[in-house]
This record gives sequence, structure tokens and C-alpha cells, in this order.
Amino acid sequence: MKLNVKMYRYKPGSEPHYDTFPVEVPDTGNVLDAIERAWADHDMSIMFRHACHHASCGSCGLLVNDQEKLPCVTPVKDYGEGATLKIDPMRNMPVITDLAVDASPIYQRMQLIGMPIIRNAETLRPDGTEPLPNGVETFKRFENCLECGLCLSACPVMATDPQFLGPMALAAAERALAEPRGLDAERLYQLIDDEHGLWRCHSSFECTEACPYEVDPGAAIMRLKRKVAARKIKRLLGG
Amino acid sequence: MVEKQLTRERSSSWSWILQAFTGVMLVVLLGLHMVVQHFVVKGGLRNYQQVAEYLSNPFVFLLEVAFLIIVTWHALLGVRAVLFDLGLKPATERNWTAALTVIGLIMIAYGIWLSVTIVSQGRV
Amino acid sequence: MSTEVEPKPVQRKPLEWFNLKGKRVGFWAYVVMRLSAAGLVLYLFLHLVILSQLAVGPAAWDNFVAIAKAPAFLLLDVVLIIGILAHGLNGIRLALIGFGIGVPRQKMMLWIGLVLTIVFSLLSALAIFAETK
Repeated sequence: MKLNVKMYRYKPGSEPHYDTFPVEVPDTGNVLDAIERAWADHDMSIMFRHACHHASCGSCGLLVNDQEKLPCVTPVKDYGEGATLKIDPMRNMPVITDLAVDASPIYQRMQLIGMPIIRNAETLRPDGTEPLPNGVETFKRFENCLECGLCLSACPVMATDPQFLGPMALAAAERALAEPRGLDAERLYQLIDDEHGLWRCHSSFECTEACPYEVDPGAAIMRLKRKVAARKIKRLLGG
Repeated sequence: MVEKQLTRERSSSWSWILQAFTGVMLVVLLGLHMVVQHFVVKGGLRNYQQVAEYLSNPFVFLLEVAFLIIVTWHALLGVRAVLFDLGLKPATERNWTAALTVIGLIMIAYGIWLSVTIVSQGRV
Repeated sequence: MSTEVEPKPVQRKPLEWFNLKGKRVGFWAYVVMRLSAAGLVLYLFLHLVILSQLAVGPAAWDNFVAIAKAPAFLLLDVVLIIGILAHGLNGIRLALIGFGIGVPRQKMMLWIGLVLTIVFSLLSALAIFAETK
């Protein structure tokens, strides 16, 4: 499949602009393959992050045609023969160069919550819809969140409020509160029950749309709002 | 700088909860206001005499004052919410909250004064 | 040769509120909430100011009522109704999901709100133009 990769370029000291590269990738290829072809065939000064190539490291997040994607698992077939893919770095994080952003907003927020990465999410039994390998009766799914930052890129509040905790950290807080494992729950409540915690969310659900791994941070925030509001009201009434 | 912004002191807030509550109350209050203003009098608009008559009813008077308070509160909480989306410094936020509170109180005081004036003038 | 790259600081971009490229229906609802809110706040101030004519006296107020029956004015009233309905109906959705009620069905609530906004706007427009003579 032949495609045009229209890529955001920025090197410190010069103005940002777009370069367009014609590339050819297999029909079964992904957008990351197209970006790599642009790098290999046309311009090896292109800077972009990539590691696992299978949606488990969360490194490669960027915008494809103004929508948040993990390019390693976004098929070029979604765009079609001859399409132009506009590639931009993630929003709401400072651009270091080209498609590489300073991702510290992601990690600083997760650190604030306490890095609740591994939680027992659910124990699943097969319901007949999906066969399990031989000998496996149940399995536990751990956290979906890759900490890729696409939700922070998509969130309209993150665009204007550097103090906002953001969808990723708030969803992580929900998981941490469900299973604290030694984290200070009271401190977490204080963090999120704040003008720049939960209450800055205006339910655009762009985070849920952007998430490549069904974390559904939007729904997590709604559940947290209920939990925190109920707690506050109970305390107010002397509970 | 990002670190400093993220680690600012956090404090509990009722503003979103109040925004939601006042909003739901407005569904009823605004609905009543619309019905009484536009669906009772022929022609859909009250003239001076009709306004004075209707405000002289104590229940209506209280209803309209309640509506004024709730709508002003919801509106200014909303303005405050949009401002806070801009990630201002804590001191700036406090100032805006104070300013909007004052504006709200002035609006409510004005509305009550106006309603009392209409009723007393209407009696003459 | 190595150069220390100083990344640009995080900037606030309020214009992003108006950047609709690639955005989905939930973001549109967010924009409509903001726009209708701005309109309604302005209307609130305007309304309170106009009501002061009641304190001036019967002639002043009845004069205003006459103007308020003009078709151009009624058209503005319809715009106001659309704003109220869009803001209020989506607001009910926000209040519900914000208290954890019906969250998996939030998108459906959005579409229902849109349909109800259109239907009641049309009904209101009919009522306004039919009734006011």
C-alpha cells in the first residue's frame, strides 16, 4: 500500500513545519511501519519513540489525522491506498523534537497517585465466547493502562490547566482506592477531591475515545465523582 | 515548574456538587418561571399590571426570589468553573471567587429590591 | 558534539477549546455547554437590566412589551430557548453521569438530549409565534 506521511517536524532553533514523505508498506502494516519507512528511506533525522511494537509499552503515542493513536497497532488499512497520514506529536506535553514529547507530565502525575500499576483487576472465567488454552480454567487480568499518555493528549482540560491531575491519574486513583495495598487512601481522597483533581473534568469523554486499551478513564472519573460526593455528603450529615 | 504546579496544596471543594444540584433545581424553577410568565396570560407576555398582580402573591414572590438566587448561583459557579479551567494561581483563584461572590450578592440584592419595588408601586 | 535541549514549557492553549479536528460527539457536547453557558450568562445580565423598566413604571414596561412582540425579537427568543434546552438537557446528563448514574449509557443520553432539544425547540418556536399576537 502506498501512502503519504505528512509529518510534523521541529528541531530546536528552527520553526515547526510539515514534511511529506511517500512510503510503501505491506497492506497488513501499521502506521508505525509507515513512519519507520519515512525515517529509513527519506530522512534519518526524524525522531520518534517506539519500543515493543505491540501495544504493551505505551511509548509510541501520537496523533494520526488529529486523533490520538498507538501507531504500532493502528492498521494502515484504516486509511486506505494513497491516503495522506498527518502525523503530529501528542498534545499537552512539551515537544522536544519532531514527534518526541517530554512525557514527564505523565510520570509526575502517576507518581503523585503512587504508581498503582499492578492490581488484581478481575478473575475471569470463560463464558464460552472465547476459548482458553488447554488446561487453563480461569485467568486474572491485570491493569490495562499502558501509561501511554494518549488520554492526557485528548483531554480538553489538559490543554489549558497544567495543574489538572488528568484522566490517567484519576483512573489510577480509582484502582488504588479499590485496592490500596498500603497506599494512603485518605491522602488519595485529598488529592482528587480538589478543584484541579476530579472537579475539573467536564465529561467530554475524549480520554475514553483515545484510550487504546479500554481503561475507560471517563467512566472511572464518573464513578469516582459519585464515590467522593457520597463520602462528602455523608460526612457533612455526621456520618 | 510543572512539578510546582502539580504539588500545590489541594483542598476539598463543593463547587461541582453545588453546580449539579443548582442545575437540577433550575429544571423545575425555570420550568415554573416559563409557565407562569408565558402560559398563563393571554398573549404570552405580562404587562405592568399583570406583573404587579402576580408578584403580589407571596408564594409567587418567594418562588421568583428562589429562582433568582439559584440561577445566579449556578451561572456564576459556571463562570468560575470556566475560569478555573485556565489553571490560575491559587491567589488569583481566591480573588475571582471573592469577586464573583460579590457580583452574585449584588445581583440578588438588586432582584429582591426590584421585586419589592414593583409590588409596593403596584399597590398604589 | 552534544547540545542540551531545553523543552518548551507546557503552555496553556484555550484556543484548543475551539479545535474540533478529530474530536467526537462528547467534545461537541462540551463545546455546546460552554457556548450556551456564555450566551445564557449574557442573557441573564441583559434580562435583569431590562426588568429595571418595571421600576420606572407602567408606561416604560408596557412599551418594552410592545417591542418584545416584534417578530425579530421573537426569533431571538427562539434562539434563547434552543440555548436553554441544549444546556439544560445535556446538563441533566452531566448531573446523572457525574453521580455515577447511567455511565455506560452516557452517549445514548447525549443523543436523546439532542433529539429532545430539537423537538422542544420546534414546539416552542410554534408556540411563541402562534401565541404572540
